[in-house]
Amino acid sequence: MNTRKFFAEHESFILGTGFIVLLLAAWQSIPLWYTLPKGMALFFTTPSKIALAFYELLLDGTIEKHFYVSAIAFLAGLGLSIIVGLPLGLIMGRSRTLEDLLDPYITAANATPRIVFLPLLILWFGIGIWSKILIVFAGAVFPLLINTYMGVKNVNRVLVNVVRSFGANEWQLMKIVVLPNSVPYIIAGLRLAIGRAILGVVVGEFFGSSQGLGYMIASAATNYKVDVVFVGVTIFMALSVILTLAVKQLESRLASWRPETAKTF
Amino acid sequence: MSAREHFAEHRRFYIGISSVIVLVLAWELILTYIFPVNPFFFTKPSLIATAFKEQIQGAKLWHDLAVSSQAFIWGFSFAVIVGIPVGLVMGWRRRVEYSLDPFLTALYASPLVALAPLFIIVFGVGVLGKAALVFLLAVFPFVFNTFAGVKSTDSLLINVIHSFGGGEKDLYVKVILPSTLPYIIAGARLAIGRGLVGIIVGEFYAASEGIGFAISQAGDTYRLPEMFVGIIILSLIAVALTELMRKLELTIAPWRAGEEVR
Repeated sequence: MNTRKFFAEHESFILGTGFIVLLLAAWQSIPLWYTLPKGMALFFTTPSKIALAFYELLLDGTIEKHFYVSAIAFLAGLGLSIIVGLPLGLIMGRSRTLEDLLDPYITAANATPRIVFLPLLILWFGIGIWSKILIVFAGAVFPLLINTYMGVKNVNRVLVNVVRSFGANEWQLMKIVVLPNSVPYIIAGLRLAIGRAILGVVVGEFFGSSQGLGYMIASAATNYKVDVVFVGVTIFMALSVILTLAVKQLESRLASWRPETAKTF
Repeated sequence: MSAREHFAEHRRFYIGISSVIVLVLAWELILTYIFPVNPFFFTKPSLIATAFKEQIQGAKLWHDLAVSSQAFIWGFSFAVIVGIPVGLVMGWRRRVEYSLDPFLTALYASPLVALAPLFIIVFGVGVLGKAALVFLLAVFPFVFNTFAGVKSTDSLLINVIHSFGGGEKDLYVKVILPSTLPYIIAGARLAIGRGLVGIIVGEFYAASEGIGFAISQAGDTYRLPEMFVGIIILSLIAVALTELMRKLELTIAPWRAGEEVR
């Protein structure tokens, strides 16, 4: 009876982790009940082998070296997109002319996967860190800009008029009403931007690169080291899940009043 | 007066168009007269236009587009076929939700393109590898948007079906699916973007044909005008598909007009 109550209380946690554990166990046990043909075995690995490869790569410093390079591209690109996207979004939300002027480019760039610009960026900035920083920037800047802009647009007109009536200038209006009201939107934009930034790091390092976790994955795949591929993929997965869920937590605390919508990443 | 009203109404369109025209003209003039263009490093609109005309008349571009869209359509269709039922069941069965939600959320939040090299090596450079990649990226918006749609279904309607003796099937077909449809279309809009990423990365990585391959090859051989043509065409397709979904969303669910989720 008591275990039943415990189960009922923690049902979602037990089922959620149980499913993942079950999947991993099933994956691990495939070689036990099925001998893969030789061609397939080359592409196959198990969770235990991945864990072992992770441990070895961690010990010999490979992960640290690649992680460091990827982290710089990620942080610099995301930082740059915050520096550009936030102010531009704020101004676009307040100025209709600027909004109309920039709208065609932003609509087009937002709909197009920015990854297509990678060959161009490599051509212009070489295969060093700059092409990676800029592809991260290109991916992350639009969600930030658009969300900031949406936040400014959705500010309550009454509040704006009140502050105006009491003689506030544009700068004070921004500080007192617009910025605080846009924060939940900006945080939502940041969450999307983190996802795009990590995507940019991964793909940017796939091509014309000699360092970084993306390079580690691509070169391991070419050498059929499937376990190393999964080590890289797992690191990226863990980072995105931790970062986006942390921001999501912040977001739901700041904007608990917003209606529930579908998850987006 | 009437001309003025007309302008006020279509202000956004006119300013947008003139902004594009001015930018293109400035780009052309600056690179013609002030900084003469180095064709290996930069290009200008007139050269892009020439390349555009050549490409459209040639057969290669159409072939590349056909190859890419074939993989895209396969992957996307499977994403619809798998994603919507999974989302429906997740939304309606609490235990299924509890079991699948953490796992699928983790996958949705991760950059699954990281698996691209593996997919291409396992499934080959043909349609299968790219379609699998598109499926993997595009399926999650369908799952989670369908899920959110089911969750937001009006419980009054569900009670009505129950009161009038409707079965499980009536519930799905008459209430849940119609009220979920706007969410699914919003999901499709997100899935298009993610699917395109899959195609492009797959073709950048390893391919011998396709629009992504055409772009990266033009870049590798310093044919900038052709690369820009590829980028512009891809961009036009992306905008057209996204706007189509947005229109569709507004037609079948006009009340959702304000809630932008990008």
